Amino acid sequence: MSALLEIRNLKKTYTDGTTALQGVDFKVNRGEFVVIIGSSGAGKSTLLRCINQLVQPSEGAVLFNNVDTTKASSSQVRKLRREVGMIFQSFNLIERVSVLRNVLNGRLGYMNPITGTLGLFSKRDVAEAKKILLRLGLNQQIYKRADELSGGQQQRVGIARALSQQPMLILADEPIASLDPLTSESIMNHLHSICREDGITCIVNLHQVDVAKKYATRIIGIHKGTVAFDGRPDELSEEIIQHIYQK
Amino acid sequence: MEDRLKELQRQKKLQAWLVAAAIAAFTVWSSVETGFSFSELFKGGSEIFRFIFFDFLPPDFSKVKNLIGPALDTIYISFVAMIVGAFMSMVLAFFAATTTAPSKMIQVVVRAFSSVMRNIPTLIWAILLVFAYGLGTTVGCIALIITSIGTLTRAYAEILEEIDMGQVEAIRATGASYSQVLGQAVMPQFMPGFIGWSLYKLELNIRASTIIGMVGGGGLGYAIQKGIKLFQYQEVSLAIIMVILIVLMTEWTTSKVRERII
Ligand SMILES: Nc1ncnc2c1ncn2[C@@H]1O[C@H](COP(=O)(O)OP(=O)(O)OP(=O)(O)O)[C@@H](O)[C@H]1O
Ligand SMILES: [Mg+2]
Repeated sequence: MSALLEIRNLKKTYTDGTTALQGVDFKVNRGEFVVIIGSSGAGKSTLLRCINQLVQPSEGAVLFNNVDTTKASSSQVRKLRREVGMIFQSFNLIERVSVLRNVLNGRLGYMNPITGTLGLFSKRDVAEAKKILLRLGLNQQIYKRADELSGGQQQRVGIARALSQQPMLILADEPIASLDPLTSESIMNHLHSICREDGITCIVNLHQVDVAKKYATRIIGIHKGTVAFDGRPDELSEEIIQHIYQK
Repeated sequence: MEDRLKELQRQKKLQAWLVAAAIAAFTVWSSVETGFSFSELFKGGSEIFRFIFFDFLPPDFSKVKNLIGPALDTIYISFVAMIVGAFMSMVLAFFAATTTAPSKMIQVVVRAFSSVMRNIPTLIWAILLVFAYGLGTTVGCIALIITSIGTLTRAYAEILEEIDMGQVEAIRATGASYSQVLGQAVMPQFMPGFIGWSLYKLELNIRASTIIGMVGGGGLGYAIQKGIKLFQYQEVSLAIIMVILIVLMTEWTTSKVRERII
């Protein structure tokens, strides 16, 4: 079986001249739970955003399901994005609308331009969104405004929005960096168990090495825009960690 | 670091004094230039007092019937100008805001255009338009639309520039198209400011429409001006009371609406 995601010689230089990635290669198979670690500014967020084309890579290829996303047309990119859920450090929920609508936004990629723009979601989508919220323990919060929720609850809504896309892959960019340790653990547990139950492949950027070791099936260490480590969690020695986090 | 801060604070203090001195100098200079004096002010004041209490009062309430039409005109003009102005400004604002403008060129042009619209006073627009359209409510309405576009385009553009791009990115990441992103990520952030500014503009329009009416833009302003010419001061005072009532009513209504949405 071919890999779900293959990244080849990926490079990114921003318009201001900052080089964030300088030749990244790796493959991700279905069902993997990959954690990417690396110091601040190493290029982890850039890497994740190149996968769903929120950032346009300067060079190299990103093959998702054997389609090169860097060469895809804008309508193809939208089709690819709806297969890829994304979770953010600052949650990025639409603050002024209800929790339910936030989850429904995950359906936009499947809707026609008019119903999507006006936010006319189908009964089926609404029922499905409620089911997802129930699964994340948010059934009391369905009709609350998103910004009334606690950080941990907001991140669960973020996960729910990603799930409503029925994605093959979830990208999570430091999903627990703005949460306290207990809440962080609950969020990681949710993310991990859901991905395993639903067979969703997951790539998570994290700062905490211990959390990475606890959940990852595989760890990738990024140092100054290149892959400095790629292997099983138990292969990650103190020495390698030092190397990854050195300046 | 400490020294630098102190230095900055000293500079700031100095600047504040300079500004205060400049304002004082300017005030003295302009009062000399305009021949302003307190005794003049007092004399004029007593004249106004006499005028108000003996010529204007009591208002002639039997004329309410005559003034209902102009009063409604004032409200219509202000409201239509606000609605039309708001929608045209919303479209223009998308071209004027850094976050949503398709090109730098268009952005500069739209900004310049709205700045001209905004910086020529409504009254001047009205006087110019009277030449083109003659007297009547059309003039008042167009003049108000023009300044509404000027003010609102900039206000809306500023709202658009302050929206949280993280929310926009999240919606883009779901596979949403450009118009879906506008509808589901930009609009929810834009709406409160949009409604707030539009209502504020409605209040300004009601006030301005009185003045515009006096140069021929229709509504209560026109009635007031006509009344003054015909020495029907007691009808004029009624009209003024109606203006005040309309302004107060609008303020009350808009503040209620604002409370509901924010
Ligand atoms: N939009 C941008 N324009 C210019 N430079 C950028 C942009 N985004 C990121 N960079 C730069 O690219 C480099 C990599 O940034 P990136 O955000 O990918 O790092 P990161 O590993 O996610 O860091 P952190 O752990 O702090 O989130 C940094 O030097 C950063 O300053
Ligand atoms: Mg980052």
